[in-house]
Amino acid sequence: MNADIVKLTLRQLAGRRRTAFMVLVALLPAALAVAFRAGGEAGPAEWTSTRLLGGMVVTMLLPLASLVFGTAILGSEVEDGTAVYLLARPIPRREILLSKLGVAWLLTAAYVVPSAAIGGAIAFQGAEGWGPMLAGFVVAILAGSLAYCTVFAFLSLLTGRAFIAGLLYVFIWEGLVTGLFAGTRLLSIRHAALGLAGFVGDASPDVFDPDLGGPTAVFILALATAVAGWLAVRKLQRFEIGESG
Amino acid sequence: MSARPPVTPAGPAPVRIDVDHVSRWFGNVVAVNDVSFTVGPGITGLLGPNGAGKSTLLHVMSGFLKPSAGAVRIGDEPAWLNPGMFRRVGLVPEREATYGFLTGREFVRLAAKLQQLPDPEAAAARAIATVEMGEAQDRATGGYSKGMKQRIKVAAAIVHDPQVLVLDEPFNGMDPRQRLHLMDLLREMAAAGRTILFSSHILEEVERLADSVLVIVAGRLAASGNFREIRRLMTDRPHTFRIRSSNNRELGAAMLAQPSVSGIELDDGAMSVRVADFRGFTRALPKVARDRQVTLLEVAPSDESLESVFSYLVRR
Repeated sequence: MNADIVKLTLRQLAGRRRTAFMVLVALLPAALAVAFRAGGEAGPAEWTSTRLLGGMVVTMLLPLASLVFGTAILGSEVEDGTAVYLLARPIPRREILLSKLGVAWLLTAAYVVPSAAIGGAIAFQGAEGWGPMLAGFVVAILAGSLAYCTVFAFLSLLTGRAFIAGLLYVFIWEGLVTGLFAGTRLLSIRHAALGLAGFVGDASPDVFDPDLGGPTAVFILALATAVAGWLAVRKLQRFEIGESG
Repeated sequence: MSARPPVTPAGPAPVRIDVDHVSRWFGNVVAVNDVSFTVGPGITGLLGPNGAGKSTLLHVMSGFLKPSAGAVRIGDEPAWLNPGMFRRVGLVPEREATYGFLTGREFVRLAAKLQQLPDPEAAAARAIATVEMGEAQDRATGGYSKGMKQRIKVAAAIVHDPQVLVLDEPFNGMDPRQRLHLMDLLREMAAAGRTILFSSHILEEVERLADSVLVIVAGRLAASGNFREIRRLMTDRPHTFRIRSSNNRELGAAMLAQPSVSGIELDDGAMSVRVADFRGFTRALPKVARDRQVTLLEVAPSDESLESVFSYLVRR
């Protein structure tokens, strides 16, 4: 990690409109949890783990935040040409990627973990053994955000339309295709994160029943992070300025 | 305004850039076609019209494009897949963008830190003073004029005292005083033993600054060597002039007898004169006009665009 690149990236992302938008979205789970409590609904453990944390936080908030930060750490610099000021320096490209990825991961976690923790703590009240369940989701969010950010950072080096490509992956592939064909869930970060949450939280199947088991989930998340990270470093090492004149 | 700090001497061994049979194509478009040359210490100008392949060649030389064929070496190191070479190479890209939220001082200090210099603060202050940006150094670069951005980019590129400096169209957007200032700086760096390569599509810039020149036209190396030699070739090439006079027919007949003239066409109140010997023609025309008592109303070159000059060099 390079502290100067970390600081630069934090300043780059701080002033972006999408970052401000993320703050608003991050408030949603807590708002829904309050509404759930106020409504006096039954079954807080199942609703919180399956609907709020599994359904909303991991399915929507986590990939969206990862997409915003993962594609922004390199994509905008590649687009406007400022990437040259980092790349024309005697620093290993791996160090540049790790520093920027660290920022994306940190910011994603900083938005999603408190949002899940506060929303979960409100909605879980009254449920039995909710502490480990919430901890399971926090671990899943941390691992899932690293995998998502790495994949989206790699996408931003591949195409100028990484944000749209990422949205297609999240909503078409993970949201639609994996619902139709069970086998495709092995290629879904979301399903792996849910599997990890269930495994770490030791959830009872009638409360929260993810499709993937713990070891499979861990393997998929580790593999996605490692492969996307390796590809991103390789792409950055072979970075080309795409213009002639 | 404070005096510019002196340029430090380059390292003991001069660093050369070797371009060996380099080609680069994008799909079916050949941007650079089998180009070979060596650039040594001093100032070399890479001259060519817009779209000739200058930027592509500079990107290949600075490791930001993979050559489709051939190779580039900076000293004893390859340019491609070798960020370590930037320890002794400085690059000023053509694109104007900087990190607009950073001040000039922060931008250059970041460059110094990324170069892992022992005292980045002092190195940045020195580079900023060198480009005379001291007064604006605490303003965000996003608010800089084009010329100021160019100067702060130069400061970031020279912050580590590189032995090789590559500049892509560095004078774009600079006012005349800033141009002269940068020219002086580059001359000083060259005199200190550094290898400096800059691209330009403006003949006069290259003429004023470069010891040697590489002329790139349509992706090919059209000419290279001493600027005076190339300038002579450019001056001695066939020219075409459009002439209007009080008696085109009589002047045309007399000029056709001159050995410096290879052909004449008369049209609509003017004539087009093809000239084989530029100097001979410029001596003969006023004499012939005076002898025949013909008044010259207009004498204008009709093919003085850089493209036509470059095309001629390619055909030779």
